[in-house]
Amino acid sequence: MTGPPAQTLTALQAALAAEEAASYGYGVVGAQLAGAQQQTARADWVAHQVARDQLTAMISAVGGQPGPSAVAYRLPMPVHSAAAARALAVIIEDRVTQAYLGLVAVNDRALRDFGARQARAAALRCVVWRGSTVAFPGLPASSLRH
Amino acid sequence: MAVDPTRRGLLAASAAALPLLLSACKGVQALGTPPPPPADVRLLRAAISAEEQMVARYRGALAAASATSVAYSVLADLTDVQTQHMAHLAQLSVRLIEPTVRPSRPSHLTLPITGSLSAVLAELELAEQSASDRLIGQLAAAPPSLAQLLASIAASEATHAEFLRAVRRGG
Repeated sequence: MTGPPAQTLTALQAALAAEEAASYGYGVVGAQLAGAQQQTARADWVAHQVARDQLTAMISAVGGQPGPSAVAYRLPMPVHSAAAARALAVIIEDRVTQAYLGLVAVNDRALRDFGARQARAAALRCVVWRGSTVAFPGLPASSLRH
Repeated sequence: MAVDPTRRGLLAASAAALPLLLSACKGVQALGTPPPPPADVRLLRAAISAEEQMVARYRGALAAASATSVAYSVLADLTDVQTQHMAHLAQLSVRLIEPTVRPSRPSHLTLPITGSLSAVLAELELAEQSASDRLIGQLAAAPPSLAQLLASIAASEATHAEFLRAVRRGG
């Protein structure tokens, strides 16, 4: 029996890495928030943990070895305020969206669908933190044609 | 997602070069029924058409909203969303190389909107959610880079639906 194409496993591992980083990052986000925003952060944190477990199971199911999570992550900026926490949440969700768009590029109908739905869920979480919508969630500007 | 020149070439070759070569030999009448366009070309055309409709919907909604006492910030936000749909349209259009000149469409098309502002926003919300779901349902037929673009647009449209829901609730 042959395993999944290398591209599929790479995309699954990248999504897992993004979810693991998100699970860590939301701990930092939640610590700077209070009230309803902290509850939102907690719900988002749970969503990332569920997705992380799902990806771990998917990788194992295709015979891969799920990548280990890091003990700690370098944050993109210092997070000592509620505003910085919300900005970090935006960065986290953007990266998760981008990672799931990687799954959309694989030639597996079910994985594409899963990746697209997870990218959409991340974009929906992101819009709450950003406070506005964007035209191309998860797509770097360099990938757009001019 | 890198620009893939071979893909552009392939689209152009499959859709344009073959009929042109044949017509050079036998004349247009000898062509008979042209082969249907490849699946990704059909997908792009459908996505472009859907975005054109969406831009027109927003044009109608903005006209309707302007006639009411809606807050300026709502008008500005609706305009932003319309601009995002125009960006979708531009990114989709640049990926389609048409072999022949398509019948030109009026770019100022406005879909007539009737009813209260709340009803107008509800209609837009439904259209956004439906468009998002439809795109996700079509991903299997798309080449990888187009699938990523369509998935990103689907995500954007879902956030538009959420935004409209919030506006309707007064949030």
